[in-house]
Amino acid sequence: MSGIYSLRDADRSVKLAAVLFMLVLGYAYIFAFFMVKQYAGLTPADVATTYVPRKIEASSLPQRSSSTTQALDLSAMKQEHHRVDTQLLIQDSHIHIMIYAMIAALQTLVILGLGWSAGFRDLVILLAFGSGSLDFAGQWLMKAGIGGFAWLTIASGWLMTLVYVVVLIGTLRAVFGNKTKRDAAAGA
Amino acid sequence: MSHAKRSRAGERGRRIRRLAGAATLAVLLPLVAGAAEHITPTVVLRKQADVIRSTLPDATHFFLKTVQIGRRDLSAIEQTADFKPEDPRVKFYYGQNGSGSLVGVVLFPQVNTQHGPFEVGLTLGPDGTIRDVAPTKATVETKPWVEKAVGTGFLDDFRGLSAGQQPDRARKALRSADIGDMPTFAGEELAEAVEHGLALYQVLYAGSASGSAN
Repeated sequence: MSGIYSLRDADRSVKLAAVLFMLVLGYAYIFAFFMVKQYAGLTPADVATTYVPRKIEASSLPQRSSSTTQALDLSAMKQEHHRVDTQLLIQDSHIHIMIYAMIAALQTLVILGLGWSAGFRDLVILLAFGSGSLDFAGQWLMKAGIGGFAWLTIASGWLMTLVYVVVLIGTLRAVFGNKTKRDAAAGA
Repeated sequence: MSHAKRSRAGERGRRIRRLAGAATLAVLLPLVAGAAEHITPTVVLRKQADVIRSTLPDATHFFLKTVQIGRRDLSAIEQTADFKPEDPRVKFYYGQNGSGSLVGVVLFPQVNTQHGPFEVGLTLGPDGTIRDVAPTKATVETKPWVEKAVGTGFLDDFRGLSAGQQPDRARKALRSADIGDMPTFAGEELAEAVEHGLALYQVLYAGSASGSAN
């Protein structure tokens, strides 16, 4: 049941840093939520629209162009849906996958002190690193034209959520929960 | 306090903690789930509707013409401007005055780069010459580059150009401004977007039967 160290028994500064890291990470996620809602959408259809490329295949086009015309109300005109093209996805990937890895590594530092069993600890660490990778795997598979992989990107978000919430609860329990038997014995 | 009372108070405290935990989860779960699929957001420099309204001030009625590109026109676009549109549908916004005459046409060509998209609002008069060029979309990273490039005034040198004419004067003004590599790069991308827009206008709008009907 032991990790590399025990957050419960750690110095107050270590506990403070762990709790603040988790809370500020959650704070950042709130704004990330609004950003994603605004630019990519939260449904599989919206996410697929953001990433699946609209390709021009000459062989599938009709011989002649065609057009439609409609009256336009400028006050009701909406901005085009944000689309991430391949060039931008390369930039997004090189920045965000690195940041995902750094966040997962910092969460791992907390996880190692939570006193979880080795198996559970390894599972959560695996999911912490894996969810971010799956997020971008989904985006690249959509970029390859497979719109159905929008679910992978969305599911990886839920997985990331699960990891965050489990580590947050573990951290709060370790810092603010009941004392260990050793502490209780020492107190007595 | 009796043992029974202490036990009831402890049970109530545990229940409150469980409820607070469940409420926290209910708020956090959807928020954090939505935080995945991280993207670099674009910055809207000017809304498309504002560009249309301000560059076609005499228009009283506005229309949207959506052209689905055919094979023949795709080939013409590739020959005219040496580029292949990424979207098979191109939108032209045009305005008419009270007597039904064409006031001008606006389109929003976009060039995609590793630093994100550069989009311009390109307004052409009834004679097919450029009336106005306004950057409408960049990213957090490229916005200052775009602003610096626009600050040189090089976009004014596009005015009066028509399809087939090279924007040499605008490019020369940009390069001689000595604003640094990345702002110059941004300016070059804006110029490229204008060239793409002119080709799309020439082939799909001015060159089409339905276009001339406007």
